[in-house]
Amino acid sequence: MTDPLALDPVLPPRERSELGGRARAWNEDLSHDERYEHFEAHVLGGGKIEPNDWMPDEYRAAVLRFIEMHANSELMGVLPEREWIMRAPTLRRKLALTSKVQDEVGHAQLLYRVAEDLGKPREAMFDDLLAGKTKFHNVFHYPTRTWADIGVIAWLVDAAAIVAQQALRDSSYGPYARTMQKICWEESVHIMHGRDVVVTLANGTASQREMLQEALNRWWGPLMQMHGPRSDRAKDRDLHWRIKAKTSEELRQEFLTIYVPRILELGLTLPDPALRHDKAAGEWRYTDPDWNELRTVVTNHGPMSEARLEFRRLNREATAWVRAAILHEAPRAAA
Amino acid sequence: MTRDLASDGDRMIDEGAPVQPDEAPTGVLEPYEVFRQEKDGDAMRHGGNVLAPDPELAVHYARELFGRRGESVRLWVVRRADVHVLEDLDLLQPPLDRSFKKPGGYVMRDKLAAARGRAGTSKPGARAASHDTTGRRGEPGGER
Amino acid sequence: MTAVRLAPATSTALADLLFGMADDEFVIGFSDSEWTGIAPILEEDVAMSSIAQDELGHAKALYELLAGVLDDGRDADALAYDREPEAYRHARLLDHGRGDWAMTIARRFLYDTADAARLASIGDGWPPLAELVAKIRREERYHLMHVLAWVDRLARADGEARSRFVAALEALAPDAPTILAAPDGEAALLESGILARSMPSAFAAWRGEVARVLGPLGITIALEPAAGASRHRPAPSTDFRWLWGEFTSVRRSDTGATW
Repeated sequence: MTDPLALDPVLPPRERSELGGRARAWNEDLSHDERYEHFEAHVLGGGKIEPNDWMPDEYRAAVLRFIEMHANSELMGVLPEREWIMRAPTLRRKLALTSKVQDEVGHAQLLYRVAEDLGKPREAMFDDLLAGKTKFHNVFHYPTRTWADIGVIAWLVDAAAIVAQQALRDSSYGPYARTMQKICWEESVHIMHGRDVVVTLANGTASQREMLQEALNRWWGPLMQMHGPRSDRAKDRDLHWRIKAKTSEELRQEFLTIYVPRILELGLTLPDPALRHDKAAGEWRYTDPDWNELRTVVTNHGPMSEARLEFRRLNREATAWVRAAILHEAPRAAA
Repeated sequence: MTRDLASDGDRMIDEGAPVQPDEAPTGVLEPYEVFRQEKDGDAMRHGGNVLAPDPELAVHYARELFGRRGESVRLWVVRRADVHVLEDLDLLQPPLDRSFKKPGGYVMRDKLAAARGRAGTSKPGARAASHDTTGRRGEPGGER
Repeated sequence: MTAVRLAPATSTALADLLFGMADDEFVIGFSDSEWTGIAPILEEDVAMSSIAQDELGHAKALYELLAGVLDDGRDADALAYDREPEAYRHARLLDHGRGDWAMTIARRFLYDTADAARLASIGDGWPPLAELVAKIRREERYHLMHVLAWVDRLARADGEARSRFVAALEALAPDAPTILAAPDGEAALLESGILARSMPSAFAAWRGEVARVLGPLGITIALEPAAGASRHRPAPSTDFRWLWGEFTSVRRSDTGATW
């Protein structure tokens, strides 16, 4: 065993790391390629990256793009639901829906904060979202037509999202992983609220049940598209960098496994005649989702894309004076 | 102790009035770190951060983001610029042996077996209270 | 809960008071909840939403008390939703929409300070209300802290922010005192101790408080006592009719259904 009393001369960083314990070696003054190697080994070994770590440009850009799209989705996802806050038919539903939408705004805040610490200012992210340069998830480009839509979104859209989000709780980027843990905890309440609305409608009058089935028929297509087309695990850079942990198909299968039985047990039907669980293969079969529709929608050509972006633009302009007042204008002395 | 962030020049915290040391500027959006205590007696744990133009609103926003559900009994809200960071592993994880500072540095299994063998005694009752453990079962270094 | 037996005149006066308080909280709660998702700053969005939800929660609790007093088969939801527009008793201050951020802050400031004066006037005469009010006052502390932080910032900012804020205060000043209009049967409420202080006294205290906050900021507004009948609306405004149409739409689509 090493003599603890032995004195060691202070060595410059590079040689110190050669003694063993190469923690955060990529932050040291090494060549780019050496830093990249240390960084990649750390990430592939399950290590975490923090905001003040050196990162290869590819990683920083990939993480930022991933988080930015997530943040954008939370922000845009508020719009389909908030118009129904006004129409919520009981005091408790009004409180629950307001609280849920508030949580989405809170999630947008948490995610934009993480993205800001990667180096992109919030206003720049809003600029890019509103100019159509960055995207948001497909489901938030569709209209909400009835109260039943609110139940279906809160239950199933949030469920599909949480399946993806749970798989991000161990993301290699530390702040994102920690934020996802907080978000998942908060989302679980939304799913319960949504399911409660849906079950209440399912147990209600004939016209409530009809409204519910119609909403489900309309939302099923976008839900099946939500996780995206199958991708090649080997070619997925976000998987390589462990920004995310599961493929689109894994997420979709997980969603179907949990939620199809829960939908069917309410006496509802699903509008895909090919949807069934293939026990032998151990996976769900379904009609191939319309990937053209997905592509059209996420490039901001969905039914509500432009209207919602325009709403946000107008709102941003209308509230600009408030931000100017508390940010740039120096406080004046009291009269 | 320096933070090596990319594109510092583009960041919002560089806008506005120059920062006086020990004084939180108003009118400049800055991150404030939020620590929360979940219930009486718990340690303060880092919860995340909020962006605010001054400490007063930072406290309000911390309450919203980390306390609106009644999930905290106390919050500490600290301007990020006031947080002093130590990450130097020469100081925190120095390379030479320091096992004498931890329970793992005192494994006595063989020595105790030898002593009992010599004295013809057997191991005392396993549940007897002991002061030379950290109190956790199975922790190395306790009586075996 | 309603073990305390009230004389009919007192009961009627109490119902009137509760209608006013509950409708005020309901209308301002759902009006301010409209900021959810579109407030000027993300963090502020979350804050304003919490405050709006608190008001809705207070409304719900007040409607529940009212349901007990009326004892006519209506529950809190029926009271909140199933009345014609003419039957709502919220103060005229709340017929104004939330407007822009300056208008919202101005309205919140006037409302929260007036409501604080009203809540401080509730006595022990009917314990269920006294107990609820004690809880509501604790929650309202945060509302006051928050709105005062914004009053300060808007008033002290140069140019547009201050002028919008002052203009909003001036536009709302004529209707702000309607929060503290004396309810019908105030005498019965004072006699039974349900009110510990009359609304005119509450008004005087409130007016002083408003001046104490706005004075150092160089702002003066004229507040005149409101007439007692100011909560009745034989001809509801177009804005309120439209709002009523929205907030009752789902409920009316299938009356009697459970939601």
